[in-house]
Amino acid sequence: MSGVNTNYLYLIIFAILIGETDIEVNLFSLNLAFSTYASILLGLAATKAIMIAMFYQHLKYEPKSLSTWVILGIVIASILMSFSFLQLSSHSFHYTS
Amino acid sequence: MAERFSAVAKRWLYTTNHKDIGILYIITALFFFVAAGLLALTMRTQLSIPNNNVLTAEVYNQFVTVHGLLMIFWVLSPFAFGFANYIIPLQIGARDLAFPRLNAMSYWFYLFSGVMMILSFFFGAAPDLGWTLYSPQTAFEFAPTIGLNLGAGALILIVVSITMSSVNFLVTMFKMRAPGLKLRRMSLFPWSILVTIFMMLYAFPSFLAAVLLLYVDRAFGTFYFSSIQGGSLLWDNVFWFFGHPEVYIVLFPALGIIADVIPTFARRPLYGSKYVIGSLVAAALISFVVWGHHMFLTGYGVITDKLYTVTTVAVSLPFDVIVISLIETLAVAKLRLKAAALFTLGAVALFIIGGITGVYLASVALDYALRGTYFVVAHFHYIMVGGSIMGLIGGLYYWFPKITGRMYNESMARIHFIVSFIGFNVLYFPMFLLLDMPRRIATYSPDTGWGLLNLTATVGGFIFGGAQLLLFYNLYRSARVGPPAGPNPWNGWTLEWALPSPPPAHDFDTIPTFMDDGTIHFGSSIGLPNGSSHGIGEPNGSSVGHEYSSIHSEGLSPWPILMAFSAFIFFLGITIGKPASPQPVTYQPFWPLIADGVILGLISLLGYSREKFNVHEDTNVESWPFKQVPNMKLGIWTFLGAEVIFFGVLIGAYFFVRTASPTWPTPGTVFDIRNGFAMTLVLLTSSMTAIMALASARAGNKNGLIISLLGTLGLGGLFLYIKAGEWFSLGSSGVFNTYPLPATSYFITTGVHGVHVVAGMCMTVYLLANALKGKYIKGDHATLEHFGLYWHFVDIVWVFLFPLFYLI
Amino acid sequence: MAISNMQVQFDNLFWLFTYLAIAVSVVVFGLMVIFIIKYRDRSGSSEPHDAPILGHLPVARGHARTAILTVSLSTIILTVLIIGSFGSIDTILSSPAPCNIQISHSVTYNCSVLVTGHRFYWDFNYAGFPNRTITGAPSCQQAICIFAVPQSEDIRLNVTSADVFHNFGVIAFKVKADAYPGHVNFIWFNAETIGNYTIQCYELCGPGHATMIATIDVMPLGQFVSWFNSTIVQ
Repeated sequence: MSGVNTNYLYLIIFAILIGETDIEVNLFSLNLAFSTYASILLGLAATKAIMIAMFYQHLKYEPKSLSTWVILGIVIASILMSFSFLQLSSHSFHYTS
Repeated sequence: MAERFSAVAKRWLYTTNHKDIGILYIITALFFFVAAGLLALTMRTQLSIPNNNVLTAEVYNQFVTVHGLLMIFWVLSPFAFGFANYIIPLQIGARDLAFPRLNAMSYWFYLFSGVMMILSFFFGAAPDLGWTLYSPQTAFEFAPTIGLNLGAGALILIVVSITMSSVNFLVTMFKMRAPGLKLRRMSLFPWSILVTIFMMLYAFPSFLAAVLLLYVDRAFGTFYFSSIQGGSLLWDNVFWFFGHPEVYIVLFPALGIIADVIPTFARRPLYGSKYVIGSLVAAALISFVVWGHHMFLTGYGVITDKLYTVTTVAVSLPFDVIVISLIETLAVAKLRLKAAALFTLGAVALFIIGGITGVYLASVALDYALRGTYFVVAHFHYIMVGGSIMGLIGGLYYWFPKITGRMYNESMARIHFIVSFIGFNVLYFPMFLLLDMPRRIATYSPDTGWGLLNLTATVGGFIFGGAQLLLFYNLYRSARVGPPAGPNPWNGWTLEWALPSPPPAHDFDTIPTFMDDGTIHFGSSIGLPNGSSHGIGEPNGSSVGHEYSSIHSEGLSPWPILMAFSAFIFFLGITIGKPASPQPVTYQPFWPLIADGVILGLISLLGYSREKFNVHEDTNVESWPFKQVPNMKLGIWTFLGAEVIFFGVLIGAYFFVRTASPTWPTPGTVFDIRNGFAMTLVLLTSSMTAIMALASARAGNKNGLIISLLGTLGLGGLFLYIKAGEWFSLGSSGVFNTYPLPATSYFITTGVHGVHVVAGMCMTVYLLANALKGKYIKGDHATLEHFGLYWHFVDIVWVFLFPLFYLI
Repeated sequence: MAISNMQVQFDNLFWLFTYLAIAVSVVVFGLMVIFIIKYRDRSGSSEPHDAPILGHLPVARGHARTAILTVSLSTIILTVLIIGSFGSIDTILSSPAPCNIQISHSVTYNCSVLVTGHRFYWDFNYAGFPNRTITGAPSCQQAICIFAVPQSEDIRLNVTSADVFHNFGVIAFKVKADAYPGHVNFIWFNAETIGNYTIQCYELCGPGHATMIATIDVMPLGQFVSWFNSTIVQ
């Protein structure tokens, strides 16, 4: 990571992030099915998050153990959400009362 | 005399030494143990005969709740972490914890949070709906007292304390082990603490999010728990996701103590040590996927029921391995039945009973009859009192000579064990037979036939409670007049026994070294057993040792306690404001206290950051797997890991209510996409300027650094400006009436994110002030980098919030 | 004595668990006590050769086969318990067919009841008769306060709550269901012995939790029909 190159790298990343955001706000005009639309949006958000983490938080240049540590946290958070949904899908709701 | 008193007071109030803080933790935890125990004895008195009226139902419910909360949060874990504070740095050969002032701050947050919980009794009524705080009973409508607000505040404060501790211990144990002390060479107590803090780190953020949502619902009338789309089920999920790991969080340290004490007194190494360690890790991982068994009867269907039955039953397997290994250790041993050995063996026996009855409750079919009965109460008291408290008392007898330098009275301690053990079983075993009696009922009628068993339990309760007087008397007296204990009274092998009792303030003169052949070299011969030919290393009194002793005598800081105190009065100000009417909730915080808290907090933050407090990082230590990561950076990332869970739960709550809602406003109708787009651009740009600030600092460019930081600050301000405008226009448009749940999730999630932005901006101001003085451009840019990690994380969170709230 | 089908099933499963628990306890505690007595420190007993001492890492010992054996044996026992539990839960969560009780020549009843928890009493609505609510409270002993069900019929309960989190439990039948607002939980039982049984709340719901008690009266079919005619059908 030498001084001059990284500045360009940071600017390129920034441009990509802005570009992806642009895609996000214009995506609705394609009239996709809701699930496709939502998946693409969250996928774009995930790539943005990964870019920020890898370059701005320079995880890419850190020892592997550190990124493993971070990923572990994300995995556990995802477990919570997926299990909750498993339960949610089998519950009966009635909205009258 | 007065001078001496002030010196003593100053030492204990300002200390940052891990041993002092450990002692403070132990004493405070014992104090809360007595307080919560007295609540329990009063409840047992109430239940001793049918139709008793010692306590009204209202007061009984408060006692039930506060007893549970105090024991779980303010006794079990802090008691164990008192030992961890005192012993772990000694056992791994660290100079202290990685962040000594943070450690002191954890303690003071703990103490003040406990005070706040007890204060709740004096503000109307303490929380009165069980430690599980089931929704929707927490809604203001059903619990209109300030006491529950205070309780929620206390819980938030203690989670802050626990999170600080977790980060601190993780960094210490990963990064500061004595040379040659590989992870797998650690004894079981450090291992159990390592696994425990791992669970704490990932379980407590879920609880923090849950309590925060609860509190905001109460204070501002939002709808997460008062709506049926969120309500009971949402609370159950976020609470028990934390709640089940919490059970192991309070148990594991005691298991670690047990697994270290028994081999010491049996004079044999722990049988299958690596399988025991593997079992702890396995149980910790499984503990995150079993929480559904606490909600078997909420009716989530046969497949999920079976899934959770299997995971819950599976979690008993690692414990089987642990128990069998402990028993195997006794074979062909030379078992000295001292008090510590008796208590730990007793704990194993009681833990086995608690574990076996836990398998009953893991079966969804049996749970349909046993849920909410005294069978459950008996089961978890066998684990928490039988396993944890008895094990921890074993630890207290084990380390008392090390901590005080004096020996306790052994025969009194043995009587204490016998009476405790008998009293315990008389107290809790009858509860297994009360498998028809509902938990938490304030009284029962004579024709239920529960009278005799209840009376027996009450008698047992007083025997067990009375036995603890022996403990306190014995320790109080022995600490003054007990015979000197010597460095290693039990012939233990772990490092703390190599030091004099009590150890000097700076611990080791030179850090011990673990050699490849399994010998341990100490810098001095202090405390080695007579005739030992091992452990003679470098001569005593190296220069490193002297350097440290001087640091520790100066290692006093007034800021941790001040910071904790300001948080205490800030939360007091927030929580004691009296809501005037249930519908709609109007809310009046007590502004003078809040203002005091903020001012004092800012002063202590400034003092904390300006104080010269050097913590030396040793380089030749064992620090796999984070060799190349500096302590502070590992700490920040670990903290961010907890933040991931925290925001994950907030976003999960949003998903939860959204999935359960029949309709949701289409994008662009409620939350203006243009606002979201603008804020996204602003925050992404601020991330860019933040990384440019770091790049400038690296290049030694002061002007570039200052301009980039100013840019970051300005963009942060712009973000908040747009956000405030949006909040204001939405709030005045009555969005809470038209779209209650979308508004609730939007305001809470973006509000919490906004608080993070404000915190980041405060850091930016601090960095700017230092940058103007010419700091950070001479290779000293670590602080700047750490700020960046945090700021980019806040950016990442927004990257997800933008599509979730504006586009989908 | 058979009080309800769920209770019979619970008792069988509970005793299966208990017999195995006792067997395991005898082995484990037996070993523990024998070891403690046999290997306690006596005058003349010698220090084991691998005793841990300061200055040395303790010798690693223990075999993988012990851990594997422990896990295998436990797995066998636990599998038995899981299979037993799964059999029972399939019964608990099955939904039996509606019954068809001829109340009068024009009125039939299908054995379904909506149970609603309130602070601090229970409401019962017989399916098809929404205007007649039985309120179960301990102080009330009139016919309108008794929740009556016919003997030897599959009674199907839909349980919910009007305010906070309750738990509906008929402990003699070993039947329970969480009652919380916005959701309806289904539970069923078949009462085999006539008599009065206690309904109690099994989740702390406030100051009246302990007294949130109602009575369920299991009647012979004929008596139930006449009670139903006089109390519910009007």
